[in-house]
Amino acid sequence: MNYDLTDAQKALQSSMRSVARDIVEVPEEAGAGTLKKNMEIIAGIDYPSLILGEDIVGYCVAGEELAKICPSTFFSAMSSAAAFGLPVRRFGTEEQKKRYLDPILAGEGFGALAVTEATAGSDVAGITTTARRTDEGRWVLNGAKSFVTNAPAAGAFLVLAWTDKEAGKEKGLTFFLIDRQARGVNITEPGEMMGLRGVEIAELQFSECEIGPDAVLGKSGDGSGQLISIMPLIWISVALLALGIGISCMENSVFYARSRTAFGKPIGYFEGVGAKLAIMFTMIDLGRMIIHRAAWGMEQRQSEAAILAACAKLFTSESVNKIADLAMQIHAGHGYVKGSKVERLYRDARAAEILYGTSEMLRAYIAEDSLSRFSPEQNMMPDKEARVLFA
Amino acid sequence: MDFALNEEQRIFRETIYRFAREQIAPLCEEADLKGEFSFEIWRKMAEIGLLGLPYPEKYGGSGADFVMCCLAGEAMGHALVDGGHTLAWGAHTYLCGADILLHGTEEQKTKYLPRMATGEWIGCMALTEPSCGSDAGALLTRALKKGDRYILNGSKTFITNAPIADVFVVFATLDRAKKHKGITAFIVEKGTPGLSTGRPMHKMGCRCSTTSEVFLEDCEIPIENCLGGEYNGWNIALGGVEWDRSILLSPSLGGAMATIGMCSRYANERWAFGHPIRDFQSIQNRIADMRVFLEVSKLAVYRVAASKDSGLKLNPLLAAVNKMYIGDRGFEINSCAVDLFGGYGYIHEFPVERGMRDAKLGQLGGGTSDIMRMIVARALLG
Repeated sequence: MNYDLTDAQKALQSSMRSVARDIVEVPEEAGAGTLKKNMEIIAGIDYPSLILGEDIVGYCVAGEELAKICPSTFFSAMSSAAAFGLPVRRFGTEEQKKRYLDPILAGEGFGALAVTEATAGSDVAGITTTARRTDEGRWVLNGAKSFVTNAPAAGAFLVLAWTDKEAGKEKGLTFFLIDRQARGVNITEPGEMMGLRGVEIAELQFSECEIGPDAVLGKSGDGSGQLISIMPLIWISVALLALGIGISCMENSVFYARSRTAFGKPIGYFEGVGAKLAIMFTMIDLGRMIIHRAAWGMEQRQSEAAILAACAKLFTSESVNKIADLAMQIHAGHGYVKGSKVERLYRDARAAEILYGTSEMLRAYIAEDSLSRFSPEQNMMPDKEARVLFA
Repeated sequence: MDFALNEEQRIFRETIYRFAREQIAPLCEEADLKGEFSFEIWRKMAEIGLLGLPYPEKYGGSGADFVMCCLAGEAMGHALVDGGHTLAWGAHTYLCGADILLHGTEEQKTKYLPRMATGEWIGCMALTEPSCGSDAGALLTRALKKGDRYILNGSKTFITNAPIADVFVVFATLDRAKKHKGITAFIVEKGTPGLSTGRPMHKMGCRCSTTSEVFLEDCEIPIENCLGGEYNGWNIALGGVEWDRSILLSPSLGGAMATIGMCSRYANERWAFGHPIRDFQSIQNRIADMRVFLEVSKLAVYRVAASKDSGLKLNPLLAAVNKMYIGDRGFEINSCAVDLFGGYGYIHEFPVERGMRDAKLGQLGGGTSDIMRMIVARALLG
C-alpha cells in the first residue's frame, strides 16, 4: 500500500507550479481576454491532454495547482476538455476528433457541453430539445439549453436531444456535435453568475437547426450511456475545483490568522480562530485523498471507481462551502468587503455543490450502491459480506 | 500510488473477520448488556493471535506490520465485536505492550511480552490523572529515586484494563521543575505493595472494557523497572499516540462497514407509507453519508499505517487529522444510524444502539477532538 506520487506526477505538479506565476486570475468583469491567455499558457504545458489522458492522478495533481490560482480558468478548461472533450474522444470518429478535439488540445478554443435546460437539470430525461430525422437522413434540432459553460466563446457544442421519445431515456437520447456557425443556432446574452465570474455562460437556442448525419456522436440513442460514462471524470474535476478553492481559503486564512493581532496576540492562537483553521486543513487533506483514490480507481478500472468519484465530489463540495464560511468569519470585516479575495472565494465556492450533479443527486446515487447490495433478494451470507464492502 | 491489498492481506483480514463473526461477536451483545469483560472473548482473541500481533515471533507474536494490525482491527469492528473488547485489546497490545516492545530492555521484553501475547498477563498504560488529561505534561504522580529503588506516589484515572491488569506501564515525574521533561515511564506489576486499583467505572460505552483509577502509595519498584530510561517518558507517551490515531481507530472503520450493511438491509425491509423506507431521501442521505465516511476514514487510517510501515516517522499533523475526523464524524454517523432505525435504534438488541455509545469515546479518548484541532492549528501557525 502506497500513497506517494510517482516522479512523473511530481513533475506534472512542478510544471503547473512553474506556469502558475504567469497565470493571472480572471477578473470578475470583462475577463475574456485574460481567460484566453490563461488557456494558452496551460495548453503550453499540455494540460488539456492531461485532462483526457491515462494518468488521472497526474491530472488531479496538476489540476489542484491550477484550481488554487484561478478557479474560473480551471472550470472553463475542465468544461471544455472533459465535459465536451471526453465524450468526443471516447465516442467520436477520427474526423470528429480532428475537427473538435484538436483545437481544444492546442488551447485554441472552447467546446461546450449542452445538456441542462431551464426546466430540466437533475432529471435529464425531462429535457425537451428534440432532433427529428429528415428523409435525407439529416437531423433538425429544436429546443433551448441553459447555463451552457463556455457558450459565448465556444466553437462547437455537444448537445443532448431526444431522438426517440418512445424508446425512453436509455435508448432515446442522442448527442450531436454542432458548430457555432450552424444555421438555426442562437447564442443569447451571456448569463451572470454569483461566483466563478471568470467563466462565461449563455443560453443556446436551436430553431430548425439542420445538421448532417456526421453530427451524431456514436450512434443514435447512445446519449444516456455516453453521459453516464463521463461523469466520474467530471465529478473528480469538480472535486478538484472545490479543493483548489478550499486551499485558497485556507492559505489566506492562515496568513491572516498569523498577522492579525487582537488582545495581545495573533488571532490564530485563540481557539475560536485556530480550531477553524484546523477544520479547514482536515477537510482539505482528506478531500485530496479521496480525490486521488477515485482517480487511481478509475485508472485501475475498478468497479467502485464511479462511486468513489461521486464520494469525492460530494465530500469536497460540501467541505468547500464550510471552509469558505469559516474563512469569511476569520477575515470578518476584511472578508465581507467587495474586492477581498475571500469575498470572491466565498461566492466561487457556492457553485461546487450544484455543478454537474447536485449533492442531492449524488447522495441518491451513492446510497443506491449500498442499498442494492443488501436487498432482501440478495440475502447476503456473512462471508460474502466480507468481500463486498472492503478494499 | 497503490491502494490495493495484496493476497496475504486479504486472506488475513477475511480470516480474522470470519473467526470474529462466528466465535466472538455472538458473545458481545450479552457481555455489553451486563457491562462485563469476557475472559472467554479474551481467550479467543489470544487464540487467533491478536494479543501479540505486532510483537516479533521470539516474543510470542506474529511480527505483523501496521497495515496488518489495522486490518485486524477493521475486521473485528466489521464483525461487530463490541467497542469494549476492542479497546481492551488496543490498550493491552499497543498502548502497554508496544511501549515495552519499543522501549524495553531485552530482559523486560522477554519477561513481559510473551505472557502478554498469550493473554495470560493483561497490560494497561497509566498516563491520565484526575487533574490532567489533555494537559498530560503537567502530571503530578511523583517518582523518587532511592538507592536501587523508585518510590511512586500519585493516582491515575480512566485507565483501561486497570482492574484486571497484571502489568502497568505508569508515567511519573522524577522532577516537576522539568515539567514534561521530567516524566519517566515505569513498569509496575500487580501485587506490588502500594499499587491498587479503584472500583471499575460504569461508562456510557465500551462497557466491556474495565476502567478504573490506579493508586500508588509509596509503591516501591526495583530500578530495573524503569522503562526506556529516565526523563524519556514524554517521548514514550507521545509515541503511544501513533497507535491511538491509527490502529486503535481501525475498529471504527470496520464498524462503519457493518453499520452500512445493517442500515441498508433494514431500509430495504422496513415499510412506511406504502414504500420500503429506502425510497425516502432522508434515509438514502444517511446511507450515502456513511459511505463517504467509510471511504474517507479508510484512506486516513491506512495512510498512517502505510507510512509507518515504510519506515517514516509518524506525522503528528496527519495523525491528528485522523483522530479528529474519525472521532467526530464517526459519532455523527453512528447517531445517524440510530436515526435510521428509529425506535429500534434505541433498543440494546440492535447493534447500532451500542455503536453510537461506543463511538462517543472517539471524540474524547486518546486525545480529545479539541486537542486535535489545537495540534493542527499550532502546526499551521508555525
